[in-house]
Amino acid sequence: MQDQDVDVDVADAAKETFTSSETDDWKKYKDDDIMQQHSAIQAEQAVKVPFLGDKEPLSSLEAEYHLGNSIVLEKIKVLSEQYAAIRRTRGDGNCFFRSFMFGYLEHILESQDHNEVQHIKSNIEECKKTLQSLGYAEFTFEDFFALFLEQLDSVLQGSEDSISHDELLCRSRDPSISDYVVMFFRFVTSGEIRKRSEFFEPFILGLTNTSVEQFCKSAVEPMGEESDHVQITALSDALGVPIRVVYLDRSSCENNSINVNHHDFIPTSREVGNSDVSKTTNRPSITLLYRPGHYDILYPK
Amino acid sequence: MSASSASSRKTLSKIACNRLQKELAEWQVNPPAGFKHKVTDNLQRWVIEVIGAPGTLYADETYNLQVDFPEHYPMEAPQVIFVPPAPLHPHIYSNGHICLDILYDSWSPAMTVSSICISILSMLSSSTVKQRPEDNDRYVKNCRNGRSPKETRWWFHDDKV
Repeated sequence: MQDQDVDVDVADAAKETFTSSETDDWKKYKDDDIMQQHSAIQAEQAVKVPFLGDKEPLSSLEAEYHLGNSIVLEKIKVLSEQYAAIRRTRGDGNCFFRSFMFGYLEHILESQDHNEVQHIKSNIEECKKTLQSLGYAEFTFEDFFALFLEQLDSVLQGSEDSISHDELLCRSRDPSISDYVVMFFRFVTSGEIRKRSEFFEPFILGLTNTSVEQFCKSAVEPMGEESDHVQITALSDALGVPIRVVYLDRSSCENNSINVNHHDFIPTSREVGNSDVSKTTNRPSITLLYRPGHYDILYPK
Repeated sequence: MSASSASSRKTLSKIACNRLQKELAEWQVNPPAGFKHKVTDNLQRWVIEVIGAPGTLYADETYNLQVDFPEHYPMEAPQVIFVPPAPLHPHIYSNGHICLDILYDSWSPAMTVSSICISILSMLSSSTVKQRPEDNDRYVKNCRNGRSPKETRWWFHDDKV
């Protein structure tokens, strides 16, 4: 477990260490030192893990735990029966949104599913109306919406602007595109939560003891804020895109049998595109691997 | 945050320029009450006049806010300070730096100059005492090298004022 934490979320781990130390310790450090150390850690993380890594065989996950917890290793074995590969994302607090971005655009690039694109576009149009009706000034979100729609069009082949898989990966690693798409998802997620605040309120109260509005302002809209069930549910519902999340942790079942749990987020409030859930396997097209505090992309066999 | 804090003074990206022009146009049609944008031809630095709200400790007092936009606005927060003399307030330092979470960690591209102004005015209006932060002297001394408030690690411990 320790291995994983160090590898995955250096920046977050560091943040915790700093904030949990008492004020007395604090006086020893100057702001400058701390800020420098903090950005040094971020830079180090950036060199080690790009926003999105290359596709790696699932055995690389096993290698990460070679000295680690046996339950986790057992679970990885179970996982490898169904999944072939993993694509890691940077642990910068945006990993859920970034994984979803790449997973979805890659799925469209490979499936060339024009119906799905029509379907998500009409949902995006709804999201725009939601934000307008909630009082967001159009200029605050329109650039982010436009940029995502551009990416969506470009993964469809056959036009001048069409891009290859390599180019998609490049763009997903380029902050001037990738961060904007992440922010687009944050707008969509926040709009959905606020619009259905009665539905989301009990979950938010349970998590943070804050109001829906405060939650959106502090845990959804700022970049780098991590996502949890609430955000995933809202994004999946708003865009009408099912998401599977597979959980890898040290928990075991009562009878000591090893199971890997997953949860499918199936949009309820909107019509789901037919092709989103494959009829034969009934499985969402996007699968993410969750380890405490972090999401990566999983590829089924 | 690391590469381009407001102090590095890089020119605005195209997308930042575009966004600021739209924000300025919106401001001209619908400025927040109590604020006046002082027109210059510099899109990257806005100077905004603030008038204390009636019935508050700062009623009829006039101050100036200086807003500097980084290259990657709105992905990155603008730097917002009071041009000294800054109002006497428990969260405002004598060098004009403001301790307000939305200017730093809690910034989001969903916010605007106008929403920042409204938050600052609300922070002023809810103050019950005209005084500097306890650590004012130490902090201001530390900033003598021209450090930007965005390079400070802020603690937001008090949400009452």
